[in-house]
Amino acid sequence: MSEEINWQTKLDEALAKAEQKDRPVLLDFFNPG
Amino acid sequence: MENFIPLRIGHDQEPYAAQFLVKWTPKLYVLDYKGTAHHDAMGFFPPDEFVAFLLLGQAKLAFHNDHLDEAQNLFDKLLQEAPASGSAPEAVYLQGVSGFKRSHEAEPLKEVYRRLKLEYPQTSWAQRGFPYWNL
Repeated sequence: MSEEINWQTKLDEALAKAEQKDRPVLLDFFNPG
Repeated sequence: MENFIPLRIGHDQEPYAAQFLVKWTPKLYVLDYKGTAHHDAMGFFPPDEFVAFLLLGQAKLAFHNDHLDEAQNLFDKLLQEAPASGSAPEAVYLQGVSGFKRSHEAEPLKEVYRRLKLEYPQTSWAQRGFPYWNL
C-alpha cells in the first residue's frame, strides 16, 4: 500500500473519525517483519 | 482508499489480535464506526483486486445496514469496474439478494442464477445461486 496513506494507529480514534466522516474503516493488521 | 479511514495495527497487538482472530498477515477488515466487521480477507491483493475488495466491503456494510439503494450502486460499480475480480461473484449474488429485498420479486434471484452460471460457473457462488433457477 502506498506511503501517502495517512494511517491511523488507534482503533478508538479511527472509529470516532469514521462516525464523524460517515466512512468505513479499513483495518490492516500488519507484520513489520 | 479516500472513502475509508485507514487504520494500521500490529498483528500481535492485543486485545485486537485476539478479538479479530489474527493468525496470519496481511489481514484486512472493513469495519463500521461501531467496530463491527463487515468484510475481511487474508493475503496480498494486486491493485485491481484490492479496489474490488474495498468496494465489496463498502457494499456489504450498506447491505447489512439495509441501505439497499446504496448497496446496489456499489455492487453495480464493482461489477462495472472489476468484473473479473475474485470479489465479483459475491457481488452478483448479493446484488440479486438486494434486488429481491427491494422488490419482493423473484426476478433478481433468477438473474443471480443465470449470471453466476454464465459468467462465474466455477465459483462456489454459482452453486449457492443454484436453488434460484426455478423460482
